[in-house]
Amino acid sequence: MTDADNTTARSDGGSDTPRTTVTIPDSIELPRLLDFYDLQDAEHTRISEFYDRLRDGSLSTTECRDCGDLQFPPRVMCPECTSDDLAYVSLPHHGTLFALSAVRGSGPLGMTDDTPFVTSVVDLDGVDVKLSARIDGADYDDLSIGDPVTLEVVDIDGPTDQHRVFYRFRPRGDTA
Amino acid sequence: MMPRNAAIVGGGHADWGHREATWKDLAQEAGKATFDDVDGLTPDDVEGLFVGAVQPERFAFQSHVAPLAAELLGIDVTKMISRTELACASGQAALRYAWLAIAAGQLDVALVLGVEKMNLGDDHVPETQASMTNVLDREFDGVNGLNAPSFFSMFAQRHMHEYGTTHEQLARVSVKNKNHAANNPYAQFQTEVDVDDVLESYPVAPPLCLLDCSGITDGAAGLLLVSEEKARELTDTAAYVTGSGQSCMAGNSINNLPSFSGWPQATQAAEEAYDQAGIDDPVDELDVAEIHDCFSISEIIEYEDLGWVEKGEGGQFAEDGRGELDGDIAVNPRGGLLGCGHPLGATGVSQALEIYKQFTGEVESARQVPDSPETGLIHNLSGSGSVHSVMTLARDPQ
Repeated sequence: MTDADNTTARSDGGSDTPRTTVTIPDSIELPRLLDFYDLQDAEHTRISEFYDRLRDGSLSTTECRDCGDLQFPPRVMCPECTSDDLAYVSLPHHGTLFALSAVRGSGPLGMTDDTPFVTSVVDLDGVDVKLSARIDGADYDDLSIGDPVTLEVVDIDGPTDQHRVFYRFRPRGDTA
Repeated sequence: MMPRNAAIVGGGHADWGHREATWKDLAQEAGKATFDDVDGLTPDDVEGLFVGAVQPERFAFQSHVAPLAAELLGIDVTKMISRTELACASGQAALRYAWLAIAAGQLDVALVLGVEKMNLGDDHVPETQASMTNVLDREFDGVNGLNAPSFFSMFAQRHMHEYGTTHEQLARVSVKNKNHAANNPYAQFQTEVDVDDVLESYPVAPPLCLLDCSGITDGAAGLLLVSEEKARELTDTAAYVTGSGQSCMAGNSINNLPSFSGWPQATQAAEEAYDQAGIDDPVDELDVAEIHDCFSISEIIEYEDLGWVEKGEGGQFAEDGRGELDGDIAVNPRGGLLGCGHPLGATGVSQALEIYKQFTGEVESARQVPDSPETGLIHNLSGSGSVHSVMTLARDPQ
């Protein structure tokens, strides 16, 4: 220990120690993120066509023009042949429940008021695509594997001026 | 150059659970416990530092955590430093990298440390849930709000649907592992339960109930992995890595899973590890295993896909008690994730350390595998189950 250290130790504490205050704002404006939904326009994502079509009421995805591979979610590169020549094609809006559960504990940030809600895997009719999707309009206890469901477009309200959308499903025939 | 053998020669834990402690506190507790456990090695001997940590950027607002750990533990790293992130398998991934570095002759002494701070206070559980769900594809999976219990519940539902597995069989896994944890002083859950307790607990993500689930856990664990030459200087009993396999499909999102009742990558990773270790019949040749029971259903599926029973017979394996301490393979004597909790980056390190402690006979007698176990296995899945890591260990490196 040096003499300087000793000097510091002896002068520690007491009312003579200089102090100041740092004020942290009550809220800090962060970049728009953490609400799970991407900015969906062509300035922010190269799969904006998927969202454009969904906004118009149609579920779609990409298909490779070179090898015919159908992907979901939509891509910018074919994972089968590495081609980037992909075309948007429509997907069926009908499917059946392949598996389901419910979120009854805490939901994630921004979704805590939604609980309880139903999560599922939906097997789309006629194509080899199984989607991860929420189910609206029914409780877990009212649903079973194999139940028919149909697409529902969800408009996302806030916190950006963009009109963002996503998809869920609901029991087929349920129009509530 | 021939690969060199590497062995675990000791390690230690922080206490796991809801800790009134920071990420840095936990790292220091596990580091101290590790160096206290190993006579003959100090921080000055460590040449490589491998830190498993999944979400310190969100749970602790801290990145570049491996050098931070080096500072906290007084380690001047001379050969290799790395932080690994492979979701729930991050600790095992750190151990695998350390093994590869030693096998390749790059260093002789590595500290493998796993640290996770997950409990941010009751007001911030949604933040933890958001971070967890985003190990899947945030844009197309996380957006659906599902948490880990509801995701794995779909595997439970499909396994019941396809194979007739019962919730009672799943509950047997929870009972076994939680009762092991009742004798583990660092475990998060140290209360014994029975099958009815599991079945009557709140169905937090049906069909799974609360006691089918692991916890949200603060925790840390460390171990020292050294070359065979160094191990023989230090101790007569070490846990040698005899095989290490890993497999990841071209998929992470739920939207691209080929099965909701099985994990083909677990089979691939296990076969790779068994092949390296020269294991022909894992049920006959493995004495003890620490496998990834994040949920009761996970362990059932792993009995099958690690090649211990035919597909669909995992529930019967549990019902017949074949994974008990005196069963065919003692599975999760540590208490598993169901009993110990699951501090993501620390779990794989803790599992491997348990195998070493089972070899040396240093665990509490109530959970000691009988008849001096000599061979072991650790396994972790990560994310959507699209990735599996399997490592075999033995007292004898041959």
